[in-house]
Amino acid sequence: MAGILGVEAHDGNPHVSPGKSKADSQEACVEPTDLMRKEHYMFLLHQRDETVIDGVRTKQHSLANCVDCHVSYDNQGKAIPINAEGQFCQECHVKTATNITCFSCHAAEPRYPKHKNITSSSVKEINELANNITYDK
Amino acid sequence: MINRRKFLVKSATALAITFVVPSIISNKAHAKKPLAEKVSDKQSWGIHIDTSKCIDGCTACVDACNEENGLTGFGRPETDSQWIRKVTVKSNTTDKITTMPLMCQHCENPPCCDVCPTGASFKRIDGIVMVNQHTCIGCRYCMMACPFKARSFVHETLTQQNTNAPRGKGCVESCNLCVNRIDHGSETTACEDACNNLGHSAITFGDLNDKNSKISLAMNSNNPRRLRNDLNLDQKVFYSNI
Ligand code: SF4
Ligand code: SF4
Repeated sequence: MAGILGVEAHDGNPHVSPGKSKADSQEACVEPTDLMRKEHYMFLLHQRDETVIDGVRTKQHSLANCVDCHVSYDNQGKAIPINAEGQFCQECHVKTATNITCFSCHAAEPRYPKHKNITSSSVKEINELANNITYDK
Repeated sequence: MINRRKFLVKSATALAITFVVPSIISNKAHAKKPLAEKVSDKQSWGIHIDTSKCIDGCTACVDACNEENGLTGFGRPETDSQWIRKVTVKSNTTDKITTMPLMCQHCENPPCCDVCPTGASFKRIDGIVMVNQHTCIGCRYCMMACPFKARSFVHETLTQQNTNAPRGKGCVESCNLCVNRIDHGSETTACEDACNNLGHSAITFGDLNDKNSKISLAMNSNNPRRLRNDLNLDQKVFYSNI
């Protein structure tokens, strides 16, 4: 599945459930992968203040976007909470013995509906949904 | 109950007229803010409520708020979060009964922020008063300080939060004027939409700095006043026809 778009995502280090998240079909994360591994929390920390205090709503370093992209789906196409055992956030944090407190308040599941398989059309749909969040009628 | 009513209508008799619509600077109709841009004081968000249009027994605004912000209860009305509640008040002088929604009044001089020990309770530059839940320590001073009982404390572990409304145990929360929607360019709040959808149209959200905004027009054609004007909090939520 990881090869569905002919791309090996994330420098050959696939997700814990390869082929089951949008991220698996992407060539790169929002910053270079090495940097993201080490510094993702710094991006989030910076973004959180800009968002809450100044109302900046860009997507690049937004936690909601991390979840949208990195969350995996089960065989019924239902999103698995990203902090569930073995899932993208949780897996590493368990290994490094670091609690994730993000998800005591933030949604651990994505904004868009279920996706059975990650295909190029579902990625397109996810992108459109994530990019066009608007409340105007 | 009597006390609360008295409290809310106390200044109804002193109706007059210290309220001032924030001065008009803005030249343009409200344009969508690019997502990367910081909010500014060009806008001053507020709500006008025409209580003559608010229907006794209707809870559409409350339900819509709960839905928008994922405020699921635990069947414990004493402690479950309420960002809006419906209240009924009776005038001491005329016995007139008014029913209306009451939410955070978005004070220009907010006592909740004065007492907060961490700065978590803050007023955004565009007038929205909210809790920065990243720095809230759950002391609940702000709940004690708020004259309108607008704030709630989350007592229980939450799951299944809405993406657009992060919230969790140990933090205080209150109406934030649908800040996520507004920052994404919405012209309406969830409560306003719900009220309009039922044809009541009692709630009007908008930019008080823009003299052509729908809230300014609603204010002009009514007799808006603030609750408890005597406290000099300069709220951004106005009520007409109480
Ligand atoms: S109504 Fe209460 S919570 Fe809202 S700004 Fe005023 S004091 Fe703070
Ligand atoms: S409960 Fe949170 S927001 Fe309220 S006063 Fe305490 S720290 Fe500030």
